[in-house]
Amino acid sequence: MKAHDKFGIVRSTIADIPVDAEHAAHEITVHIREGRFQRSLALIAGFTGGMSGLEVAYEHYKGSYSNAIMYTPVILSQALLIAGVSGAVSRRAARTILPTVSAITLVDCAIGFGFHIRGIQRKPGGWRLPVFNIIMGPPLFAPLLFGMSAYLGLIASFLRRESASRFARPGRVPLPTVSRLLPAKVQRDEIIELQEVREGRFQKHLALSTAFATFFSGFEALYSHYKNNFKYKIQWSPIIVAGLLIGASLGAIWKPKVAKRLLPTASALAIANGTIGFCYHARGITRRPGGTKRLLYNIIYGPPILAPLLFAGCGFLGLLASMFRRER
Amino acid sequence: MKTPLFGAFGAPGPKHMLGAMQSIDGRMRKYGNQGEVDFCIVGVGSAGGVLLQRLARAGFSVVGLEAGPLWDTERDWVSDEAGSHKLYWNDLRITGGEHPLTLGANNSGKGVGGGSVHWAAFVPRLHPSDFRVYSEDGVGADWPICYEDLKPYYELLEREIPVSGPAYFPWGDPHGYPYGPHPMGGCGDILINGCTKLGIRVCIGGPVAILAGSHGKRPHCIYRGYCIQGCKVGAKQSTLISHVPNALEHGAEIRDSCMVSRINLARNGSSKSGTVTGVTYFDSQGHEAEQKAKAVIVCGYAIETPRLLLNSACPGFENGLANSSGTLGKYLMAQAGNVVLGRFPELIRMYKAPPAHAMTEEFYETDTKRGFARGFGIQTVGPLPIAFARQMTIAKGAWGWGMRRVMMDYNHWGAIALLGEILPWPDNRLELAAEKDKYGIPVTKVTFNLHDNDKKMIEYGKNKVMEVMSAAGAEEVVQEQRYAHLVGAARMGSDPRTSVVDGFGRTHDIPNLFVCDGSVMPTQGSANPGLTIQALAARTADYLIAQSQFGLKKGAHSSETPRIRYDLSPPDTWGKGVPHLK
Repeated sequence: MKAHDKFGIVRSTIADIPVDAEHAAHEITVHIREGRFQRSLALIAGFTGGMSGLEVAYEHYKGSYSNAIMYTPVILSQALLIAGVSGAVSRRAARTILPTVSAITLVDCAIGFGFHIRGIQRKPGGWRLPVFNIIMGPPLFAPLLFGMSAYLGLIASFLRRESASRFARPGRVPLPTVSRLLPAKVQRDEIIELQEVREGRFQKHLALSTAFATFFSGFEALYSHYKNNFKYKIQWSPIIVAGLLIGASLGAIWKPKVAKRLLPTASALAIANGTIGFCYHARGITRRPGGTKRLLYNIIYGPPILAPLLFAGCGFLGLLASMFRRER
Repeated sequence: MKTPLFGAFGAPGPKHMLGAMQSIDGRMRKYGNQGEVDFCIVGVGSAGGVLLQRLARAGFSVVGLEAGPLWDTERDWVSDEAGSHKLYWNDLRITGGEHPLTLGANNSGKGVGGGSVHWAAFVPRLHPSDFRVYSEDGVGADWPICYEDLKPYYELLEREIPVSGPAYFPWGDPHGYPYGPHPMGGCGDILINGCTKLGIRVCIGGPVAILAGSHGKRPHCIYRGYCIQGCKVGAKQSTLISHVPNALEHGAEIRDSCMVSRINLARNGSSKSGTVTGVTYFDSQGHEAEQKAKAVIVCGYAIETPRLLLNSACPGFENGLANSSGTLGKYLMAQAGNVVLGRFPELIRMYKAPPAHAMTEEFYETDTKRGFARGFGIQTVGPLPIAFARQMTIAKGAWGWGMRRVMMDYNHWGAIALLGEILPWPDNRLELAAEKDKYGIPVTKVTFNLHDNDKKMIEYGKNKVMEVMSAAGAEEVVQEQRYAHLVGAARMGSDPRTSVVDGFGRTHDIPNLFVCDGSVMPTQGSANPGLTIQALAARTADYLIAQSQFGLKKGAHSSETPRIRYDLSPPDTWGKGVPHLK
């Protein structure tokens, strides 16, 4: 049995769920729906950033940190972690440090993307042998995938805190300092847009971001699984789920119904798939010679341990998008 | 001081190691040579190893006689170029003709595993057109089998080996490989750069029988080089590492350091027919012994197989066993393997990484515009200093101080090679010489001449490879004429008047005498023969198993193609090759 409460939220009325749990779940939904979850999103942004930072750290270690710029995402990911945690603790930090660090990280990711394109170009044969050089060269979309956590951090900085009263007016968004240089009309539009984010009305926007993130992550899965010719049939699963999730997110921009029904299903699938994939990757690492005794070596040269979790993160993004309200 | 500081170095353990992680405990079933075994295999190399494993696994009593040792990879092999010459067949052989072949190095092997111990492990398949060379181009010969007959065995062996390579190999019958491609070394980069500049498609990271990921009791490649000196890691496949341990587990016996001197025959009255009864051999102590067998399979490769058959001549078979056609020893083939070396301003370090890791077969098929039949491939090679010095002597005439200067420059040189198809000609042959080896067995004299088509192919191919090398940015390009691989001389065919064996390796003349190795190939393509030899061995094994229930001495029961036996593969082939932890 399902029913809509007075806020229009689908609520479970199954008696088995304890009232407290049901109440808590409802609270969370309402918080997200109304954009009052700055603290949790700041934490999520910080932790996903920190996590992908670990992956960057060992992947760049594999490349011997031959270019000094390879240190920047490692440093920035830890800065993002600190900013995320402080954003969760302090409202002030959430409005100052968090967006600053996130913005710098985003710029760094864009630069990194450029470097990775150049890295592939510099391999023998360059872009004229795209299949092999994408497989064996620097991971093409990995920097952009890392950028997704910075993007979450940036979003978090515009949200309201959980403690904000749901009945009080959302309050004005403090416009970023750089925006003051823009023409007045653009500033006005930006204010409206940010205000919507602040009220949790940015479903289409987030659905689009989900589509992009899933594309990046799915593409990585595609070429790295293609590398060993899909030896295990299960290696096809993230490719299929990624296609589904991209379709669902793009559909969600187009129709609210898709956002409410298909998007959460596809997202849940992606989360489950990523979690299972994480277990497979972990198993793959322990099965390498030396197993857990040569853990660091095997993590570096075995299947990328955190990559499936980043794919699950895309599912999480989709789930989040499905819970928001749509733009006015 | 009795013990060194921090204790004594560990002595090698009592175990007989095959690769870094795999050991055989030394207990091997012994049949003794009183009784008759089901199969006697002469030569446990690429084909012999696969046959031994298949037949033992199917439950037959099988003895493998090998002239060389059963290697313990940890004790016997060294990561040193000069120290690895014992892997080759270095006994006396006589070479001749207008273009004499160098014998005894990269075209032979001695010891269990045979040539697969020191091959570079390139494992391309033959193209479908290779099986119809005569009908398509009017040269060479047709095979009695077609590509589709061998294709399932190619696929099976690619899993058993297992082969690392790209997921899409575009030439011949396009296919993919079970393990991922290898990262590139310096020579691979040269080939890729050169080919890409010239718009030639190139295949990267394989196909090569070196593990890109761990498999069973074999660790993955660590790119230390010394592949063709015997891979001590166990990442490179040789039948010694991949098939022999399983054969021993299933009750096969390998008698190493045993030189077979003749095959014994029982004639049917005074007719020109008979069946073989076994082989006579010199055991490791030099004593002559006999092993009786229901069937004998000769897997001695292109020189030793015909030599043994010729040496086994007896009344009724005066020209040698299975030689009623007179083609035994003829149609010997080598591949043109001209090495093109280029000097680069940057470091290449061609000793690093496997020598086999990139190739192109863009020029494989006949192109009438080029003015010759069939074609060639281009592959990476990575000569180590001794081979490099020899090449420089020939290619540049480097000597004395000049040689020293070139050798100081070794790290700046890169090498890629031609692999061109030389057609089978009856005058490229081997026959018995007057000289004898240490056992008193007559040795062979090999005669080899290039013909017009071969010369044109080599000239065109050599120039193409040099063009690729220059396009890759080499400042100086030189080349050395060389030959690689050695097949033919006991070729298969459907007509007993022009061939020695049938499509399954059974000799036309003697029903229970088989030949299974590179010598049965009627043509060779421009592909390295290793995979084809192993695939043919697996196919012959299936045939032997299917036919043995009717008794092999009676001849072919039916000419039907036997069912492919997937259940006879070594373990780990189908279990996704989960690595065993140490």
